[in-house]
Amino acid sequence: MRLVIGAVIFVIAVVIAGRRLLFLYQLIKSGKPAPGRTSGAGERLWAEISEVIGQRKLLRKTVPGIAHAFTFWGFIILLATIIEAFGALFNSSFAIPLIGHDSWLGFLEDFFTVLILCSLVVFSIIRLKNAPARKERESRFYGSHTGAAWLTLLGIALVLITLLGYRGAQVNLGHFPYGDAAFASHLVGSWFSTFGVGANKTLEFVFLELNIAVIMAFLVFVTYSKHLHIFTSSLNVAFSRRPKALGALGVTPNMDPELLSEDDVFGVGKIEHLTWKQNLDLATCTECGRCQEQCPAWNTNKPLSPKLLIMDLREHLFKSASALIGSGSTGSTEVNLIGNVISPEILWACTTCGACVEACPVDIEHVDAIVDMRRYQVLMESEFPTEANLMLRNVENQGDPWGLGQSKRLDWTKGVDFEIPVVTGEIPNDMEYLFWVGCAGALDERAMKVTQSIARLLNQAGVNFGILGPRESCTGDPARRLGNEYLYQMQATSNIETLNEAGVKKIVASCPHCFNSLANEYPSLGGNYQVVHHSQLLEKLVSQQKILPKIPVNAKVTYHDPCYLGRHNSVYDEPRSVLNAVPGVSTVEMHKHKSKGFCCGAGGSRMWLEENIGKRINMERTDQALGTDADVVSTACPYCMIMLDDGVKSRQSEGAASESLRVLDVAQILENSTKD
Amino acid sequence: MTLSKIWVFAESTESGITSTSLELISAASKFADHVEVFVASPEPGYSEIVGAYGATKLIQVTDVNDRLIGTVVASAMAQLLSGNTVDAIFFAMTPEGRDCAARLSVKLDVPVLTNVVNLSVDGTRLVSEHAIFGGSEIVQAGFTGSSPAIFAIRAKSFTAESRGGMPAEVVQVGVGDLGSAGKARIVEQHLEERSGPKLDEAPVVVSGGRGLGQAENYKLVEELAKLLGGAPGASRAIVDAGWVPYSYQVGQTGKTVKPNVYIACGISGATQHMVGMKGAKNIIAINKDEDAPIFSIADLGIVGDVHKIVPKLIEALQSRT
Amino acid sequence: MNITVCVKQIPDQSSPGKLDPGSHNLVRDGKLILDDSDSYGVEMALQLAAEAGGGEVTLVSMAPNGEVSGIRTALAMGADKAVLVSDAKLAGADALTTAKVLAAAIKRNPFDLVIAATESTDGYTGTVPVQIAEILDIPSVSFAKKVELSGGILKVQRQTELGYDQVECPLPALISVTAGVVEPRYPSFKGIMSAKSKPVEVLEASTLGIEPGRNQEIITVRSAEERSSGVIITDEGDAHQQIIEFLEQLKVI
Repeated sequence: MRLVIGAVIFVIAVVIAGRRLLFLYQLIKSGKPAPGRTSGAGERLWAEISEVIGQRKLLRKTVPGIAHAFTFWGFIILLATIIEAFGALFNSSFAIPLIGHDSWLGFLEDFFTVLILCSLVVFSIIRLKNAPARKERESRFYGSHTGAAWLTLLGIALVLITLLGYRGAQVNLGHFPYGDAAFASHLVGSWFSTFGVGANKTLEFVFLELNIAVIMAFLVFVTYSKHLHIFTSSLNVAFSRRPKALGALGVTPNMDPELLSEDDVFGVGKIEHLTWKQNLDLATCTECGRCQEQCPAWNTNKPLSPKLLIMDLREHLFKSASALIGSGSTGSTEVNLIGNVISPEILWACTTCGACVEACPVDIEHVDAIVDMRRYQVLMESEFPTEANLMLRNVENQGDPWGLGQSKRLDWTKGVDFEIPVVTGEIPNDMEYLFWVGCAGALDERAMKVTQSIARLLNQAGVNFGILGPRESCTGDPARRLGNEYLYQMQATSNIETLNEAGVKKIVASCPHCFNSLANEYPSLGGNYQVVHHSQLLEKLVSQQKILPKIPVNAKVTYHDPCYLGRHNSVYDEPRSVLNAVPGVSTVEMHKHKSKGFCCGAGGSRMWLEENIGKRINMERTDQALGTDADVVSTACPYCMIMLDDGVKSRQSEGAASESLRVLDVAQILENSTKD
Repeated sequence: MTLSKIWVFAESTESGITSTSLELISAASKFADHVEVFVASPEPGYSEIVGAYGATKLIQVTDVNDRLIGTVVASAMAQLLSGNTVDAIFFAMTPEGRDCAARLSVKLDVPVLTNVVNLSVDGTRLVSEHAIFGGSEIVQAGFTGSSPAIFAIRAKSFTAESRGGMPAEVVQVGVGDLGSAGKARIVEQHLEERSGPKLDEAPVVVSGGRGLGQAENYKLVEELAKLLGGAPGASRAIVDAGWVPYSYQVGQTGKTVKPNVYIACGISGATQHMVGMKGAKNIIAINKDEDAPIFSIADLGIVGDVHKIVPKLIEALQSRT
Repeated sequence: MNITVCVKQIPDQSSPGKLDPGSHNLVRDGKLILDDSDSYGVEMALQLAAEAGGGEVTLVSMAPNGEVSGIRTALAMGADKAVLVSDAKLAGADALTTAKVLAAAIKRNPFDLVIAATESTDGYTGTVPVQIAEILDIPSVSFAKKVELSGGILKVQRQTELGYDQVECPLPALISVTAGVVEPRYPSFKGIMSAKSKPVEVLEASTLGIEPGRNQEIITVRSAEERSSGVIITDEGDAHQQIIEFLEQLKVI
């Protein structure tokens, strides 16, 4: 009897879930190829161990992280109870062979059952505390399917309750394979012991069938809900970009004009342009909102939330399923994503700061997806905020986003009192570094001062370096992050030609955006150099005592992590070491720092776009800096410098910031300490 | 006098002959005995004023009607030129003056020298001066072929001086049908004197920045702009702060302006702003911070308090008119 | 509707300009780009042609050295073809000669409308468009800041010293457009790719029957008198006077 009921439940559930999983597999596979997703097995294995088994990224939020880790580990252990439950359908005294009576297994099963139940309480409290109905946009669950989330918690609770129920009855009936170590089961057994044998038999029967029914129902529910992540997240982590989907952009399409025709399509404009990995990303999102919580756009009241973007794409993917894989065609694939699924305000609000990618526990690659959609808008549709037009034309014609021109690239050298060699032919053998000054560093008044400080410090330390001067041109980063891959590649190939002809091997860059392009993105176009950021080189020179900070700089300094130095390239410590080496400096961290650093608002080509919705991101970051009561806001990026300086001036003019507050690059602070 | 006869195309508005036209008449009377002025209007009463500034004859083109003035006057000049020796013809660098000079140059098959900022006599011909490369160099040019020499001259290149001459002799002419060229018709005229010129077309732009302190002080900028016949602009900072609308923004992501004079009040000169106004021919900057980057491109930089200087400037300008 | 747009390819305006010491011609070596002020005319033409339901947009340009990179930009925006008059003899050509050359080039294709910028960014003589109209014997509306076409009649807001005139004009005609009349589109990738194969007819002046002559000459070039440029003063209560003097010097007041 119980075998029949169990078998019927099992077969129905497996058929439904199996069909759904096959459908999901086909839907995900219908995406475009995603090359390079299997190379580096060792790294991928390590990712599985640390991120899936070790729950590394989840544990960044301590309380929910621990609760989730218990639940995840618990479910692995509780797989044994599923075997036992199905075994019990055949034989009431079933035990797993070999280890089935071991008290450690019995203990672990019960221990994790209790821990998961506790975790469910924690999850519920978290969800109640952050209820989107009350906290609205401040809740990371805003826009998530909260009904499904509660159903999930309820489902898990029911699995555990029915589990303990039949195990308790088993104890009283003498079928239970474990001794006292399975403490919770014995406790429940003691509650049931007064009911007598007949009742316990019924309880065992009912709870066992219910347990199997709940498990199977949950299986079906999972395949139809955001809780699918229990199947997809380990795959998504396994196929993710390692070490993380930041730094370079994921894909560098071949844009050699000789090989292209006007019919080629670049970027993602329709749902079928997504790769299978991007489809898998969509299927994996569990709507936890950790991305949303970190997103500078979302936090300043803009419509972009990385989570909602992924959810909207997923919804559209499912809607388009019959057109993508079925015989039917609903026509969804004809729909342009931007304007219909994702609004332009959302697409252009992203600063590509990578906070979402960094926060995502299942390694979803939001930034790549956003830039892919921008590529389509710019290259195929020529639809983007018009104020960026000028920047693109300037990069193309004058080689810098402001259009100031190559003839001005040496102007900053007038501010230093020694000769800086300009590399015209091949780089001399005794010249160690090429100093890549960058457009801002050469042309923007404020950034020029930083460039001069760096040059003087390098000179002081005896570093032999030169510059390209008028032969340097924009790396193409602003164009690339806006989606203009074509212009980026024109800039990149021409710069690589210059650098390779000069025989450049080592580069020091002061702009993290240049640094990122040169170090991470140029290799795919044939430019391979050892690239360091100025903060790294200065840190090395200080530790080698080639630069001796000795004059006290008595100031409380807070350091703002530039996204393209920090999150994108994991350079967090060197700029801080430079600051700590300066006598008199006391450092204070903003609440959001290092991997959780908050963007200045200029990345992702946002520097060149108007910011009309919500609070300005630079003002938000400035306010965070003001909250530390620091005398100096320091950074290591000319874009951040411009944005924060603007923010500070604005607050100063309102009287909300001290007139003496300054925004300085770490190089400037270091130089102040070396000047007599 | 070196030259015998110069023609001047004088433009008129409801308030009479324009000041630029009077400058041209004054200049012409220095170079030639006979200065004949064309006016595209049958209105009586211009002969006194043009005569006072040195004109000997006033040629009124009476049948302009709703046709474009430049086209009509060019035809009138071409018709009258046969059997007439004219050494030079002066036009102002205005839309009408340029239209007229262009049409006439083709009719006569002689070139035009435009953007003239000064004229002098070299032997028997007039030599013109042109400012190039933003005014850093002066080119002197002259005609080598047959007369008349056609010059289109910038406003304020000469001083308008009444020399108390007699009223000019008045001749009225009509040009009749202009063929295809005359098919464009004016349906309606709009005067924008009160609202002032558009930001990206204005000869003078006065912009304000964060240094103004508060939104109310922006009215100083507007007032100064109005007094100078210019348009008010703004830096991104005060647009972001909501003091003025986005349409006022000068800079990378706002408007690019190339006025003759740009006055920056309380603007430090972020690169994003400077690229929008670096094309200005002359830049005046007022800022209290002597290290402000704007001073690096200013032709006249004043380190001082906007709140003190601008009101005094406004007062001084008001007292002049 | 067929529209012809006059475009000029000019040197990068961010580099300081130079005059050739011998010929006093503007040095135009290095990369030439589409004059920004022409991108408005190209955009206007594309919009008007699209509204009219089709027709060809043809570019005409003149360059001494066969340069086409600026023309390709305009083709990438969407123009259909181009005629380039390239002749070393045209180096330093005056506005009238330029107008004759362009008018002859325009006549090689049927046109309903000719569009030009009011003036080029590097030469800014500002007479070429209307000279072309006179040569072609068609009406012209210069300084157009708003253009509409309805029923074969152009309706143009023409900028004047005091405001603007609403002007109506039948086709064929020429208009010169001011900067900002429309927002020029940024070429799409498809546009850039297709521009590579669009026809560019390259001609010499003699093919058009034009012998460039010179009726004007540059006599001398000298540095401008040092005006009070780059002067930074600290206000001592009389700074407004200095501003007034400066404005007087500039003949603004």
